[in-house]
Amino acid sequence: MGMEWYIVRRVAWAAIVTFIIVSITWGLMMAAPNPNVQQAVTQAALAGDDPEAAAERAEERLGLDRPAHERYLDYVVGIYTFHWGWSESRNQPVTVALLQALYYTAQYSVPWTILTILIGPIVGLYSAANQYSWKDHVATGFAFFGYAIPNFFFGIILLLIFGVTLEWIPVIYQTDVPVFSLANVNQLAVPVFVLVTGSIGGIMRVSRNESAEYVNADFVKTARAKGVSTYKIYFQHILRPTMVPLSTTMVSQLLALFTGASLLVEVVFSIPGLGTTLYRAITAQDTSLVLGSTLFFTFIATIGNLLQDLVYTMLDPRISFEDR
Amino acid sequence: MSDLIDQGEDSHPKMNRRRWLQGLGIAGTAGLAGCTGGDGTDSPTSTSTEPDPEATEPDTPTATERQELPERTGPYQRTIANAASTLNPLYNNVDGVGTLIGYTMDMGYTFMPGTEFLPQLYDLSSDNGEVWVAELRDNLMFGGEYERQVTAEDFVYQVQEIHQSSWAGTPDSPNWPTGEEGYNIEQTGELEFQIELPSSNVLYPESYEPLLYAIPKEIMEPYVAEEDSQGLQQDEDLLELTFTGNLGAYQLDEWNRGSAQIFSRNDDYYLRDATDVDPLFEEAPYFEGIESQVVQEEASRLGALETGESDVAGLPPNRVSEFQQMESVDVNITPTPFQSLITWNMRNNGWNTGPGNLFRDRSFRQGLACAVSKNQVVQGIYRGFADPAYTFQPEWSTFYPEDDSAIDQWGTGDLYGPEPARSRIRDAIEDTDYSYDGQGRLLNPDGDQCTITLHHSASSNTNQSLAEFIAQEYEENAGIVVETTATQSSQFLTNYFQQEAPEGETEWNAGPFNRGPRDVTSAESWDMTVIYGYNTYPLNPTVSDVFFLQDGSTNPQGYYPQWDAEELYNQANNATSREELADAMVEIFVNLNQAQPIGMLTFSSNTIGYAADIEGPIEDFFSGWDFPAWYRED
Repeated sequence: MGMEWYIVRRVAWAAIVTFIIVSITWGLMMAAPNPNVQQAVTQAALAGDDPEAAAERAEERLGLDRPAHERYLDYVVGIYTFHWGWSESRNQPVTVALLQALYYTAQYSVPWTILTILIGPIVGLYSAANQYSWKDHVATGFAFFGYAIPNFFFGIILLLIFGVTLEWIPVIYQTDVPVFSLANVNQLAVPVFVLVTGSIGGIMRVSRNESAEYVNADFVKTARAKGVSTYKIYFQHILRPTMVPLSTTMVSQLLALFTGASLLVEVVFSIPGLGTTLYRAITAQDTSLVLGSTLFFTFIATIGNLLQDLVYTMLDPRISFEDR
Repeated sequence: MSDLIDQGEDSHPKMNRRRWLQGLGIAGTAGLAGCTGGDGTDSPTSTSTEPDPEATEPDTPTATERQELPERTGPYQRTIANAASTLNPLYNNVDGVGTLIGYTMDMGYTFMPGTEFLPQLYDLSSDNGEVWVAELRDNLMFGGEYERQVTAEDFVYQVQEIHQSSWAGTPDSPNWPTGEEGYNIEQTGELEFQIELPSSNVLYPESYEPLLYAIPKEIMEPYVAEEDSQGLQQDEDLLELTFTGNLGAYQLDEWNRGSAQIFSRNDDYYLRDATDVDPLFEEAPYFEGIESQVVQEEASRLGALETGESDVAGLPPNRVSEFQQMESVDVNITPTPFQSLITWNMRNNGWNTGPGNLFRDRSFRQGLACAVSKNQVVQGIYRGFADPAYTFQPEWSTFYPEDDSAIDQWGTGDLYGPEPARSRIRDAIEDTDYSYDGQGRLLNPDGDQCTITLHHSASSNTNQSLAEFIAQEYEENAGIVVETTATQSSQFLTNYFQQEAPEGETEWNAGPFNRGPRDVTSAESWDMTVIYGYNTYPLNPTVSDVFFLQDGSTNPQGYYPQWDAEELYNQANNATSREELADAMVEIFVNLNQAQPIGMLTFSSNTIGYAADIEGPIEDFFSGWDFPAWYRED
């Protein structure tokens, strides 16, 4: 009964949450008018045919004439057997569509996440160490600028400057360049920069404020008195306790950006990742793909929360699994 | 059917399923060239100048003129705004996607500048317009697993078992009616089939109805046996175009959903052996491939054109002059057949400003036509990228009356302004209780100034500007106050354009947009709208009867022609020669010019930017028919 049992319980809870969210999403999508039926009705009306008969035919063709519980059951079974349906807007299985999109999203999300986790706290710590100096103001200004400027707008501006005017980066994202190549680094540098500047602001502020609490704490003074090096003081004695509350901010912020801001950045930079896939699925009212994407994002969110809890316990030894 | 198009700036005139193939007449020709590459081309907001008589022939030098054929160069690069959802040629109904499919396989035929018929897969001929014989070329080959010669049986099977079936539901099925008034298609030889129509139609090819893709019978057979429409839609060979053999100038190498389509050059393209096309085709195509990338953001698409990463992009009107200044870009302004217009509601729930619906009076409509300056609409609203419209046909159409004097140019010159507008309106109200006061205001019988509403699109700034300009002009020149109101186009279609189903029998019921006489009305009252424009179908204008016959299927405004429209359309539809047909159509367009059943405003143009080293695009409605012979200048 230790960490293993805790993880099992957290994973089980994550599965339940996922199930509930997927069920609710399914219910909402089913309650909305089906776009295929709507299209059939409109076409029939425009062609002078009987719209009601067209609706019936379309419902029959799509299996919508079956009882809701049957359709729901089929859907749930499909989810757990990885038969997530057929994407009408891409004409391929939903799982394939998501995997293809994930391939591109991962290419910028991994460096973006790593850089955010590295740079955000360090800039915050740097600010805290130089409180109210010009260095603090510059770092804070930089963080707030990135936080405040809308990512898609910033992206377009940078694309116009570096892509169109200076021609340093390609304007059109190339899907055929190798993942680990300079060409890929070159085309992903600006989107990653936009996302990093957008995400470190909040993290930097939290880490600055939290670190500031510890900069003059007794244990830091003691460490200084004992002759501990400055770097060790900052990274071991100050950053570690700072990371406990920071980890919460970090996970929630990265998740929010992952689903929101990255979508806009993908649209601006024409990256065919999960964001654009979900966006297009919604605009095309591609029910299967919307549900699949929702499930995927739910999965990411629950895993993220799980990791957050685990990191929390590792960073703060006072937290016990037994109490949970 | 519907021939409505959104007049919004943000949407290309969309083809409905019946008309999308006809739309290829517009999009396909341009589209083959990759001109449908961006949203910018999607705005019916551009201008054309006067029709260019020189532009009826391609300005690309032919092989004979140039002595030697062009060199092959790197890929033709293009961008598209929206990802293709399917490449299945049997189920696609999006014109831009038709362009992508068209790279890998030609359709039956196309038209060259001057509406000259070019047989691609097959020639079409008829003695009387009733029985059309299709003769296939003898060098058409399927590829991949289906490698064999294309035969007439493939086309006949496709029509009989797919388009004429009750289960497949293809977008093309309305073109192949069955039953008593149906079309009968038969194989008459290994490479010959014939289509028998219920009555003569000398413009049958121009209707694009007999336009087919070659699909191997073997692909379709299993689905036909099972009546499996879903299976047919999801078939891998159809989706990935693996069977196209030598039918297209390029072959699809990779379809990365949501991001790109990559095509490579096809050495075996069948038109290389054709002697009836431009000698440039001998070594065509001249690009090593085509790279079509999905780029949703307009700024990125335009940026790509500017930096040379893309060879083509549709230009929004406000960026045209900027690109015209660039040495690396050539801007083409190509006319379209889409007319922007005002629809006046002549039904009983229209003209809600007093007794008697003045829109029903021809003289009143002529007065309104004189009230709006078409030149100012062209310059102010469409930034110069449009032409004034006086009748229901662009001037470059072969059916436009040759004798210009028969066409009154309402809204320009002497026929624009308060005097011509008010004098005609005075004629219309002579025997009514309406009147003009001393300040030039049109008063209703209660003595109040006439106030009418004008609906515009809620999602289009251009459309809103158009509505506001019309309101200003009507008030200044006709003394009528116009209140503009923003409405979603889909909502307008349902609540205003479509009439409610009448109780009991009506004199006629031509479908949702004309369920009967003027007392059959829509759910909501309305006076005027600029939300929808109409396609004028310059290649086959006989289909315009749906707008202007009393019982036409797209007559939501309740127009009753006071000229012999039915007889003239009958003459056109039953003509056994093109001359006979043209005579009837010219008379129709002269009558429409006088009747002004709708307020005809402008014909929009597309503005397209091409990389300056691309040779082939022309400023013509038919630009792109020869896309496989386009090349990059050294």
